Amino acid sequence: MKDEQTMTNDFSVLSFAIKNVKRRPLRTAMLVLAITLLTAVLVFALSFIYRVHASIQIMTSRLGADIIVVPTGSRGAAEDVLLENKVKSFYMDQDILEKVSKIDGIEKMTHQTYLVTLSSLCCSVPESLIIAFDQDSDFIMKPWLKGKIDRKLGKGESIVGHESSFNISVGLVEVDSVLFGNVFKMVGVLDKTGTGLDNAVFISDDNISDIVKNSDLPIKPGQVSIIFAKIKEGFSHRKVANAIEDSIIEVDAVTRKDIGRSIINTLRDISGIFSMTIALASILSIFLAWTVFSAVANERSQEVGIMRAVGAKESHVMGLFFIEVLLIGAVGSTAGIVFGTGLSVLLAKSFTILKNISSDLRAVERLAVAVIGFVAGTGICIIGALVPIRRIKKMEPLTAIKER
Amino acid sequence: MAQLQTDEVSMIYAIGGEQIIAVDKVSIAIEKGEFVSLVGHSGSGKTTLLSILGGIAKPSSGSVRFEGRDIYGLNSDGLSEYRSEKIGFMFQFASLLSVLTAKENLLLPVLFKPSRKDADGKLHEERAVELLNMVGLGDRINAYPSQLSGGQQRRVAIARAFMNDPELILADEPTGDLDEETEADMMRFFSDMNKAQGVTFILVTHNTELAGQAGRRMKMVHGKNEEQ
Repeated sequence: MKDEQTMTNDFSVLSFAIKNVKRRPLRTAMLVLAITLLTAVLVFALSFIYRVHASIQIMTSRLGADIIVVPTGSRGAAEDVLLENKVKSFYMDQDILEKVSKIDGIEKMTHQTYLVTLSSLCCSVPESLIIAFDQDSDFIMKPWLKGKIDRKLGKGESIVGHESSFNISVGLVEVDSVLFGNVFKMVGVLDKTGTGLDNAVFISDDNISDIVKNSDLPIKPGQVSIIFAKIKEGFSHRKVANAIEDSIIEVDAVTRKDIGRSIINTLRDISGIFSMTIALASILSIFLAWTVFSAVANERSQEVGIMRAVGAKESHVMGLFFIEVLLIGAVGSTAGIVFGTGLSVLLAKSFTILKNISSDLRAVERLAVAVIGFVAGTGICIIGALVPIRRIKKMEPLTAIKER
Repeated sequence: MAQLQTDEVSMIYAIGGEQIIAVDKVSIAIEKGEFVSLVGHSGSGKTTLLSILGGIAKPSSGSVRFEGRDIYGLNSDGLSEYRSEKIGFMFQFASLLSVLTAKENLLLPVLFKPSRKDADGKLHEERAVELLNMVGLGDRINAYPSQLSGGQQRRVAIARAFMNDPELILADEPTGDLDEETEADMMRFFSDMNKAQGVTFILVTHNTELAGQAGRRMKMVHGKNEEQ
């Protein structure tokens, strides 16, 4: 008897709420599951959308150019290369460089030429994008080369992107490889840029004439793939881009802001589907929480009446029920965050739009998504339970006691 | 000044268009430390009157004053504080919360009080255990209601009514499920609390012998009060 009397069980409002939540395990589990699924969908959708947006933002901010100029009709291909790390090539004649340079507002410009390796036919490396760049005018590569190789790349030398399949497959540098019948020495690896550059191999454009000579590439001497331009201060990027397109019919000019516009449009459609799914799941979850807590309120009205009779205030009753709702919401939301995050990582490679995007969410972004998921999941649970809880807390104690 | 005073208190229910007068213009005055029994047939309005006195059912008309203060002039929180600080309830049924142990049921009245921790930072646990010992359940403090007999549940509910050191106990047939011996023990316990601590009792009962033990007897007939 003494032992039983000395047992303490730290009775508190929280422990009381936990006991109440546990009393109908199946019903509680159903509500937790609904909140888990809702939060998982939300976290997955936000991760997906956030990742694509972040990738575009990172790429455009790191690109270093205000406008890109590509052959007419190649805008999509250029975005594929820059945003999605796809291996594509397109060419325009070099005299376009001079035409672009004459457009009012151009401060400086550089160009690159994209070459695609077809491993079995020409090269000793897996299929990769080889980017030949003009070292004299370059301002795109320079920030990334700094500290890696403090000199110009020589003829027959290359440097590889951080994520390039070649870099991954060899795992080291200072090795020789054959590109389009020419031997290249890999002399360095770029830092991670979070752009399409991470998957490419870089060479000086001095090598292009030899490559053209020794390969079947569909490139003519003097052709380039893309022009990057910086715009003078005070000039509208869009107006300069329009001026380029108006005066040079063979090219498309895309401002930094418009890069990735097609992906964003696709993303908008996907976001719409996600929003609809989340809205439906939210309505269902609110309805389920309302049903569950209506049943709880009916079952426990006598208990609430007793609590009120022994001195509990309306706010105490409300507080107790809210802790129960928060517990269910918190468990469901946390499980949903784990499930949704896991899903976003596992399924990321199943979505074409994500498959080739190099940037992933940073820890702080993942945390932000998790916080949004937690607040939304728990909030939905609270909204659903609000009406039944308000009804029961307003009941006169004797009426509540009689409602058995 | 009487500790508890009602002035023409009435409670009228409307059921299916028909008006039921449960309590009809009852005016009573009860002094501090009195032990009052309230008898009457089923449906005579005893429980309703007790609920009105305890602040859990607002009367249709009239007023209830406790120590001179109109309790139904208080807001919802004020009325809760009145119940918490002044009143100990014993209902017609055991009225225990099924998810709480016997001791936790006793701690319920102090759970929501701002000063619910005692000097040791514990929830008046010693007081709860002491009261359970006083009603003969010291060995069942961690038992759940489902593990207790009907009579044991009644005794837990009786003990709970004293948890807040109330000034007024409103007991609605509190010994209904008890055997004779335990009933007598409980009545002694009530009497001790009444005499030693000056707690006022209003005891609703059908048992004329129990009613006879009270210092003052009142009877409810069709909602009206008759002093005996």
